Amino acid sequence: MDEKESRLVELVLGGQTEAFEPLVTPYRKLLLTLAYRLSRNIEEAKEISQETLLRAFRYLGSFDRRRSFKNWLLQIEMNVWRSLGERAADEGTLRELAAWNTHEDPEERLAGKEAREKLLTCLDGLSPREREVFLLRDIEGRSVKETAEVLRTSPISVRVHLSRARVKIRRLVKDRFPGLMEAQR
Amino acid sequence: MSCSRIRKWIPLYAGADLPARKARRLEMHLERCADCRTEVEEIKTALDGIRAFANGEVIDWPVAEWNGLMARVKSERPEHHQVSRLGAIPRKAWAYGFAIVLVLGVAALILRSILSPPASPLLSEIISHTPAQPSRSLTIDEAASVSYPQDIPFRVPREQGELDRAVLAAGPAPEKTTQDLMSMTLVSQETGLKVHWTLNKNFEWEEKK
Ligand SMILES: [Zn+2]
Repeated sequence: MDEKESRLVELVLGGQTEAFEPLVTPYRKLLLTLAYRLSRNIEEAKEISQETLLRAFRYLGSFDRRRSFKNWLLQIEMNVWRSLGERAADEGTLRELAAWNTHEDPEERLAGKEAREKLLTCLDGLSPREREVFLLRDIEGRSVKETAEVLRTSPISVRVHLSRARVKIRRLVKDRFPGLMEAQR
Repeated sequence: MSCSRIRKWIPLYAGADLPARKARRLEMHLERCADCRTEVEEIKTALDGIRAFANGEVIDWPVAEWNGLMARVKSERPEHHQVSRLGAIPRKAWAYGFAIVLVLGVAALILRSILSPPASPLLSEIISHTPAQPSRSLTIDEAASVSYPQDIPFRVPREQGELDRAVLAAGPAPEKTTQDLMSMTLVSQETGLKVHWTLNKNFEWEEKK
């Protein structure tokens, strides 16, 4: 972790809890967006990232400062997400998308609804494990090793799920968005 | 190399996750195989497309909700490093301790069931038949009938006999039961809760407090 983060951690642990906000603010969008991509439900996504931040605050003292703070947050979020048992994971994206109307909630600064729908349609075709690995490696750009650490699994397992996810994504994009394949060729 | 073997590597290669040596072998294959080249290109295109979608889809917290969340977080108290360590270790120690006790218990039960049918009668026979420590274990009658030379001023042997009488009166049984009892006390460092178990020779619960 960088020096600034390290100093903020120090402050929070020293009792200056207001230092927590600048510590986590750079990751607030990341945590919420990732939670949403995992759960595909905005309320659940808020719940997941809220619990992630609460746990991060509570267990900050056990954070090993030689590690990446971002990866530590991602690890907590994955734990929270898994502990929720992926309960509503397969309730279907369409219902959720229909219910989510940005005009009803002007406070939500949501961008690219169309893009989100497209991405979600593809993520729907992946198993939960494939989705986790794919989001961390291919969307968030973590390395295979980091992804394995965040998910507490082996790099071999990550590679296996990643391979499957990429093969499926290719098929899904080709089937549902043939124009994309043509345009980029 | 065959296409089928190469195909397994393609998804990793397309995302730059194939080790360099394998990647070179794959590239050699790609030079002369259009089908595999197409496969690589399609995965790369799909990944690029998905990433482009993802960049257009970043969700942020509504300001009021974020502020509320931060206020809630700050009202919590961070567990101090030492506290969380102390909290974590005894729980582990508990688990290990319990596992060890369980394993020992099961092992003892197994040993007992293997050894016990021939061993028990033997043991009791030995105890009842051995006047084992002759200096101390004369029977009451023998002890009484022994006549001691008068010139011995002190009466150690007779006292010894009386001691034996006490011992024999009590019999070998109490000694045996105490050997066959085992007690175990587990104390939780976190809650101070004490669990006291007494087990008899058959490993049945005698008491549990
Ligand atoms: Zn080929």
